[in-house]
Amino acid sequence: MKSWTELANSSFFDANARERALGLVDKDTFTEFLSPIDRYCSPHLPVLGAAVEFDDGTVTGVGLIGKHPVFVVSMEGKFIGGAIGEVNGGKMVATIRLALKAAAAIKEQHPDDYAARRPLVAISFETGGVRLHEANAGLLAHAEVMDAFQDCRGIVPIVSVVGSKVGCFGGMGFVAAATDVIVMNEEGRIGLTGPEVIEQEMGKDEFDASNKALVYRTTGAKHKYIIQDCNYLVEDKIGDFHNVLAEVADIPMDEIEKMRRIGSLKLVQEQQGLVKLVGDMQPKDSMDLWKHFGNENPAELPELSTAEFLKVVKRRERA
Amino acid sequence: MALQVLEFEFKSEATQTIAKEWSHLGVTGSGDLEVLFEKKDLGGNVKAKVVTPVKGFDAVWEKMIEKFVNDTGVGNISIEINDDNATPIVVYMRLRQALAEATAKEAE
Amino acid sequence: MEYKGITREWDTLKKDAMERAKNAAPYVKEGKIVDAKDTVALLEAVIKPFDKVNIEGNNQKQADFLAKCLCQVDPAKVHDLHMVQSVLTLPEHLDVFEKGIAKKLDMSFSGPQAGRIAQFLQEGKLELGAIHTYLELYGRYFVDLTPRVALVAATMADKKGNLFTGFSTEDTPAIVEATKFRQGIVIAQVNEIVDELPRVDIPGDWVDYVVQSPKPFYIEPLFTRDPALITDAQVLKGMMAIKGIYGEYEVTSLNHGIGFDTAAIELLLPTYGEELGLKGKICRNFILNPHPTLIPAIETGWVESVHCFGGELGMEDYVAARSDIFFVGPDGSMRSNRAFSQTAGHYAIDMFIGGTLQIDPYGNSSTATANRVAGFGGAPNMGCDPKGRRHSSGAWLKCGEEYALNSELWGPVRRGKRLVVQLAETFREKLAPGFVEELDAFALAKNANLSIEPVMIYGDDLTHIITEEGIAYLPKCRNMEERTAAIRGIAGFTEVGMKADPKETKRLRELGIIKTPADLGIDMSRANRSMLAAKNVHDLVVWSKGLYNPPAKFRNW
Repeated sequence: MKSWTELANSSFFDANARERALGLVDKDTFTEFLSPIDRYCSPHLPVLGAAVEFDDGTVTGVGLIGKHPVFVVSMEGKFIGGAIGEVNGGKMVATIRLALKAAAAIKEQHPDDYAARRPLVAISFETGGVRLHEANAGLLAHAEVMDAFQDCRGIVPIVSVVGSKVGCFGGMGFVAAATDVIVMNEEGRIGLTGPEVIEQEMGKDEFDASNKALVYRTTGAKHKYIIQDCNYLVEDKIGDFHNVLAEVADIPMDEIEKMRRIGSLKLVQEQQGLVKLVGDMQPKDSMDLWKHFGNENPAELPELSTAEFLKVVKRRERA
Repeated sequence: MALQVLEFEFKSEATQTIAKEWSHLGVTGSGDLEVLFEKKDLGGNVKAKVVTPVKGFDAVWEKMIEKFVNDTGVGNISIEINDDNATPIVVYMRLRQALAEATAKEAE
Repeated sequence: MEYKGITREWDTLKKDAMERAKNAAPYVKEGKIVDAKDTVALLEAVIKPFDKVNIEGNNQKQADFLAKCLCQVDPAKVHDLHMVQSVLTLPEHLDVFEKGIAKKLDMSFSGPQAGRIAQFLQEGKLELGAIHTYLELYGRYFVDLTPRVALVAATMADKKGNLFTGFSTEDTPAIVEATKFRQGIVIAQVNEIVDELPRVDIPGDWVDYVVQSPKPFYIEPLFTRDPALITDAQVLKGMMAIKGIYGEYEVTSLNHGIGFDTAAIELLLPTYGEELGLKGKICRNFILNPHPTLIPAIETGWVESVHCFGGELGMEDYVAARSDIFFVGPDGSMRSNRAFSQTAGHYAIDMFIGGTLQIDPYGNSSTATANRVAGFGGAPNMGCDPKGRRHSSGAWLKCGEEYALNSELWGPVRRGKRLVVQLAETFREKLAPGFVEELDAFALAKNANLSIEPVMIYGDDLTHIITEEGIAYLPKCRNMEERTAAIRGIAGFTEVGMKADPKETKRLRELGIIKTPADLGIDMSRANRSMLAAKNVHDLVVWSKGLYNPPAKFRNW
């Protein structure tokens, strides 16, 4: 395993789930929950003759950023596409719930220093959603995670970290949308129905999944950043994601609330405004929207480096 | 249909065990595997357990791990592998990388 | 002495061509232009039953519109055609057999249509002449397989029929020259008809008809490999190749076969190659399509020249901006030419290196599988020892010196040997073995009733095999027994490798006939993707300073 300093400078995209988890928190502070030596594999996969993993494809644990405990859920896309089943779903729910318990305990023990010690949940999504081999348990996990988010609302910020090969699709696309803050690198993608499924259902003329440039223009981070589905766009370095988490950890909860996309009448109305806009203008491509939001030369945006892009991009105005 | 579980034991001169109590490396991705080494008093021997969806390669697994044990002279460890169709070179490279990881001093 | 020859007409081909031209005249508009909608009628007018017909099916560029139109001719008028073409890629290339328009086939490579060829052979829908190498087939265009009608593809034409084939010239000159100069008929589909061409690649008087196709010709970015998909095992084999072969023999001129193995080597030159101090000593002159993965090596000054068989989508601007390296016309765009590139690949380079699917204990290597008649394109032209070579070079001489049979077979004459290197993994994906006691080529020969087994590279031409287990230096073997032992020694846990005698393998290592990664001084733990000069397609764009414009399917941004 690379050292923390090496990890900070490493590509988030190329790293595995455990490396990401270690690098998202401060040096030498990560403690894993149910690590490989605990051998908490899926009980369902062996019956079906499918390969198993000791952590069931999700690394969970806690570390620190400054004095903030950071509860980390980090999915591994290489294991069954990061799909969520019973064990890894349960690990995800329990980790979020633990953050809530920690918040209560810290408030009691450090009432004067709570702001500096307020916990944070960071979820690195790399998944297509439910693991079909154990679909009921996987679906249930989705619901339980959403439930846990509601309980954390206004107490513990939940941050989505998206920047790996599989992206964040299926039911977990909904889950990511329901978090407070979304951080992505340029390679990150969020969506509901995966590109291949859209093509399969609607035809190649509607959506050509082999046209990766189109896929990225539609689900990728630059598009999400322009339409305000993504709060922070960072370079593909684990350290850059860590720095954003450090920033978010210090933001007051009422400011965090303003970074959300859904979860209040006002936000729902804002989303409906966007739906109406798309209905009225009937864009043929995401670039039409980019232009609408003030980017005169939308075709050049995909070609720009993250730094260049951040300098010139015009984003949708939040209501 | 069910997963194959293969178990082997190899005699070894036990010239090298691992530094940590246990060590883990890799991901059970398609064409890949994860390796878990655990220090154990086996009278110098090496125990191996392989969990794989692939049938009919028992002899190959035995020879591959035997080669690793012979090449490296490890002993007193248990090796657990979760495999998903890894080729022999991937198995060998991951075992070598896992051993390097398990014997490395903590970085920095 | 009485000079008494036979009495006959000596210009029947010309008269026949004129008669066909007369039939076609109603469809010709301005100059040589025929409307796309009249194309089927044009083909029915100029093609006669039993004609040899060439559809320009290249490795990359396809005369796809003309192929579609040929499928629509009336089989009562046009039938029993003898198709002579290098590559069959499109379904239409086989549909003409299904519809009874064509009967016989002579070809080089069939890619996606390989399964259907085998099926049609069994059903008697198709008679197969031979599966050629490219050069062999081009040669026969000028001997006994001259097309009567050629259906070619070009980027642009003018009204006089001058063609611009530019970046994607590929086979066009060879086909047109053979056809036209034996009084044949040349029909070109073009993407665009313009008043003035950037340059003339095919003179207008060699072309009879020009059709602007409704869509630009189909072209596939066949040679683009995404660095993100290169595995650690490929990095290991690449390091072994660079140290154990490129560096060992100081190979300066070469061809890289298609695939991730050679893409890995290209991306290791600026890192591992640099570290070994090999810059300037190896890999100076390539015969190669414009591989995007070669960009970092070019940008760091490794490469002096590259001549290309064909173009590669997205590389147009990069290649044009590197005219010191590539072969670029006065108009500023590259001209590829498969016939010349293959000639260079056969005679003028010191090494061919590429991947394969199966190797047998004799060193025969083949990508043939039991139920697909695919052929090998140009690989055998480059993957052989050219006996007509008469210039020497360091790598060629060194390989000749190592040849254990040189004095026995060559006597006192100094000769060299082409390096022909195969990269193989002992097991590929899904644990398919790379080494087998009998090649699938034997089953295919039986299934498809072929007179010879389709072997890509013959064992006696193969000089080196690289697997993750080691490199076998086959010319050093004194006889077949030793050669087989060397191959078994690096064949790992395959059925071939399991028969290796460890004592013999050890002896061969001592003799330097087998070298393992450890023998080569390669630290296996360094063999991982971090060694690659580019990790993904975007890195290649950055290396190219924005000049490489990858096709949409490779753009992860």
